[in-house]
Amino acid sequence: MFHYDVFVEKLNNLPEGEEVQLAVRDLSPGIHKYCYSNVKALVSPDAEKYENKLQVRFGRGQTHSNPYSIKILEQVERIPERWR
Amino acid sequence: MAYLDNREFIKALDAAGELVTIEQEVDWDLEAGAIVRKVCEEKGPSPLMNKIKDYPGHRYLGAPLANYRKLALSMGMDADSSIPQIAEEYLKRTSSPPIKPVLLPKEEAPCKENILMGEDADLFLLPGPMVHEGDGGRYLATWHFVVTKDPDNGDVNWGMYRQMVYDRKTMTGPLLPFSDGGKVFHGKYKPRGEAMPFATVIGPDPLSAIAASAPSPIPETEFTGMLMQQPVSLVKCETVDLEVPAYAEIIIEGEILPDVSLEEGPFGEYTGYRTSPRDLRAVYRIKAITHRNNPITTISNMGIPTDEGQLLRSFSLGLEMEKLLRSQGIPVTGVYMLPESTHHLVVVGVKAIYTNIATQIAQTVFGSKLGPWFHMVMVVDDKTDIYNVDEVIHALSTRCHPINGIHIYQGVGTPLYPFLSAAERIKSVGPKVLFDCTFPLDWDPLNELPSLVSFKNVYPKEIQEKVLNNWEKYGFKS
Repeated sequence: MFHYDVFVEKLNNLPEGEEVQLAVRDLSPGIHKYCYSNVKALVSPDAEKYENKLQVRFGRGQTHSNPYSIKILEQVERIPERWR
Repeated sequence: MAYLDNREFIKALDAAGELVTIEQEVDWDLEAGAIVRKVCEEKGPSPLMNKIKDYPGHRYLGAPLANYRKLALSMGMDADSSIPQIAEEYLKRTSSPPIKPVLLPKEEAPCKENILMGEDADLFLLPGPMVHEGDGGRYLATWHFVVTKDPDNGDVNWGMYRQMVYDRKTMTGPLLPFSDGGKVFHGKYKPRGEAMPFATVIGPDPLSAIAASAPSPIPETEFTGMLMQQPVSLVKCETVDLEVPAYAEIIIEGEILPDVSLEEGPFGEYTGYRTSPRDLRAVYRIKAITHRNNPITTISNMGIPTDEGQLLRSFSLGLEMEKLLRSQGIPVTGVYMLPESTHHLVVVGVKAIYTNIATQIAQTVFGSKLGPWFHMVMVVDDKTDIYNVDEVIHALSTRCHPINGIHIYQGVGTPLYPFLSAAERIKSVGPKVLFDCTFPLDWDPLNELPSLVSFKNVYPKEIQEKVLNNWEKYGFKS
């Protein structure tokens, strides 16, 4: 079962072992399913490398056949303070 | 007497056999969307879903206006009214004097039965559906409109701009620069660094929704009154200086931020495709949610024809074009956009009394404010029934000269055209084509002009009458 998913243009946007900033969706069941978080994370095409499984999707919703894994390092706030 | 709200309209749909009430629990995660999609593709009755998983007390109404019977009902007409009859009534009402709205006090407005402000206003407390697998998020706002106001002249706009739930306080969605709301946001608020107040109206009465999707220069608050033939009732918002329909199901209030954009999409679009890829879009930051008890979230599921967006835009765009062409003195017999063309193909009937009249028609409509929304104009003669697809296809296939009758233009389009390249979509270019399906006026009527072979054309009147009068006696059903 996937814990998060992410949309990318191409797999190059998910370099292994490098810190990346992503908008990921929480896939936990319940009313908050598909809620977005902006995070800094490490990702890997090895589905077992990190603790959470990541479904990769492309620009029009197509799923990548190989599951990834993700380790979230920190949350990132993209809404400027004055609007929060 | 107009329907005050969706709930009265639902009773009318039910009485006309255009409603199915689903009592078993339906999942907001794809199941509800799939039900609505199948209904659209089969042109079936609207589903009213009374139990939504995870959301006790909430309901869905899908495909509320996705066929002409429902459109007729929304206007208080017989469900079996013909398209020309519906068009005639629509034109009659929308050519009458505008009717200003009335303002109700808060205590009389059903949309204020529940008020959630500040931290209590959480978008995930509403059952935003995951409409299609692979969508960018949950689209809470698909059959709705967004209310905004010009900061300088106070003009109010109601526009149908889809909105995706991003997080508990944020929605995102495209606000195209050439749309009425987009012009004000990109042209005024954004350059000034100011947030644009908005109010999203979910589950409006059917005629308010039609007004919001109609491309008319008349303010939607007054246009709705013209359609209803009585003033629409509005109520002031809680946190922004805007007014919303008092009988709507759900209102979401907030601001569109001028200096930040977030990802939105992809989503199934009116063209029947996911064309525009995921992109950075306008950010709607919410301040309050108000709603009726047991609110009904309306779902329009865009995909292959026919959904209400395709039907209503086709219907209203076609009629606005007819008004425009008549205002220019062009002798049109009618204008019809086939909903199956996702409002891309306009069929114009005309009494061709001068050469190049088809070109004049095409240039007039392509160059108008309506122009970005379609790219194909087909002009037929005054004997062709523009509402009869068989006659329209026959005219296209037999009267349009492949070289002299097809004219190509460059114009303004939308980034949602499936046939555009990625680069063309960024620039919103809009190539256009005219199919002139009228025979040249200088053809000798005796020796050059083909004669149409049809029941009405090649039999004397008395033979036609004899056959028609004996039709059932022969054994045929009328």
